[in-house]
Amino acid sequence: MRGLLLERSDQQRTATTLFDRVAEVIHRRELLGVLVSRDLKLRYKNSVLGFLWSLINPLLLMIVFTIVFTIMIPDLHVPNFPVFVLCGVLPWNFFSTAIISSIPSISGNGHLIKKVYFPLEVLPLSTLLAHLVNFLLAFIVLIGMIVAFGIPLTVNLLWLPLVILTQLLFTGGVALVLSTTNVFYRDTGVIMEVLMQAWFFLTPVFYPLELLPEMTVVRGIELPVQRMVYILNPMASIIASYRAILYGSTLGSPPHAPALDFFARTLVTAALAFIVGLWIFNRYRERFAEEV
Amino acid sequence: MYAMLFESVSKRFVMGHDRARSFQDLMLRTLRPGSHTPREILWALKDVSFMIERGEAVAIVGRNGSGKSTCLKLMTRILTPTQGSVDIQGRVAGLLELGAGFHPELTGRENIYLNGALMGLSRREIAHRFDEIVAFAELERFVDAQVKFYSSGMTMRLGFSIAICVNPDILLIDEVLAVGDQSFQEKCLERIEQVRANGVTIIFVSHALETVRALCERVIWLDQGQLREDGACDVVVDDYVAAVHAHEEVAVE
Repeated sequence: MRGLLLERSDQQRTATTLFDRVAEVIHRRELLGVLVSRDLKLRYKNSVLGFLWSLINPLLLMIVFTIVFTIMIPDLHVPNFPVFVLCGVLPWNFFSTAIISSIPSISGNGHLIKKVYFPLEVLPLSTLLAHLVNFLLAFIVLIGMIVAFGIPLTVNLLWLPLVILTQLLFTGGVALVLSTTNVFYRDTGVIMEVLMQAWFFLTPVFYPLELLPEMTVVRGIELPVQRMVYILNPMASIIASYRAILYGSTLGSPPHAPALDFFARTLVTAALAFIVGLWIFNRYRERFAEEV
Repeated sequence: MYAMLFESVSKRFVMGHDRARSFQDLMLRTLRPGSHTPREILWALKDVSFMIERGEAVAIVGRNGSGKSTCLKLMTRILTPTQGSVDIQGRVAGLLELGAGFHPELTGRENIYLNGALMGLSRREIAHRFDEIVAFAELERFVDAQVKFYSSGMTMRLGFSIAICVNPDILLIDEVLAVGDQSFQEKCLERIEQVRANGVTIIFVSHALETVRALCERVIWLDQGQLREDGACDVVVDDYVAAVHAHEEVAVE
């Protein structure tokens, strides 16, 4: 095993180790696997219907939004509305539940962190991957819905792994930052629950982005609303990509590949978020055992 | 070839640090500044240097608060030094707070895999040693019961058994032999002897000086975070005992 030489200078330490950190996590991937299966076992231990329970939330949201936007406010004119909504709700739920449950992943595992050394990045990342398993299982239901509504399953489904990877990178970055924050400020979770709610409404999950005006004037300032949502909110772009390859467009055209330049930008943003997350986590990692 | 190298290691803790613990706290403080208590700094270790050779059995003694636990945590890489460097060669397994890594809702079997993975073993390596771990812990009948139903003795036995069966290069033992019944304690000591004979480096932290004498050839004595004496077991233990007695006499007067 490699020796560990720690220098006093922080700069030198992070400069040499960010790459090392990734290598170490990859090296300890079996630990990641064991932690993921621990997460899943604990979640479903007490209820055989555990997985089905996790489906209830998105399905209920789908039904409610369908009732609201096709019966109560019937002027959206989005075809196959349940599929449209589910394409947004499932990735969103994956994102928000993974974030919320990874926030205490460091602070809540003090008994492990103080006992044995391991790359602590695996804690938030294993929570994220356990939720990924859930998300993939829920996809079976989504595919069933797509078929039931007569939307063609096209070759564009091959984009799916890349879109999921993009979402994983972005979610991982956010999870690394917030799990770090929660070590020092223990009300991060409470604040994020509120912020997630706001984020949900600001993301085109249950309404089409095309519904938003191209330009709005607020107090004399011209705001390019549609562009701003895409630029400021990676989740909007990620959900738009899922919709493009699974659902098509709200005008009724079949599924299509996401625009290349648009998707490349999203992927780069997500990768940057992940790198920043790793960097911040690594910057404070050494204090975790003293603070938890 | 050394197993462990401490080069002028110092470790600082900031005690009673009056820092905001939540964003709510942070807000309140910015609104109401002024009440700022000074930070209290504690050097748990000050400029400690030593080298432990591969295959040595070394004890670390010292009174409470002398820096023994900090020293052990630096050896497992749980803590990093504030100054100086710690270099570790090989896999370290710690018997610190045995069984602390267990999850009560998981079964003994699942916990063995979890703890083994935390200590750096692959699934295959754990599977290979699984029977040995269970047999040593004498838990054959209970491997598939949830750990929350284990007695504290059973938990300790399983913890010890995992740590000793992972084939570490360096084994850290912290005051844990006090648990379990007499026969299990003897079995543990026997096993430690055996592991030691196989060339594993043993680092032992204890107040039980008789066990120290029995197990170790070298003793490092820490006093208030500094290295007081480092040498042959009998010499250092005698000096240590003398110092403790002298201190007690002063305290009595």
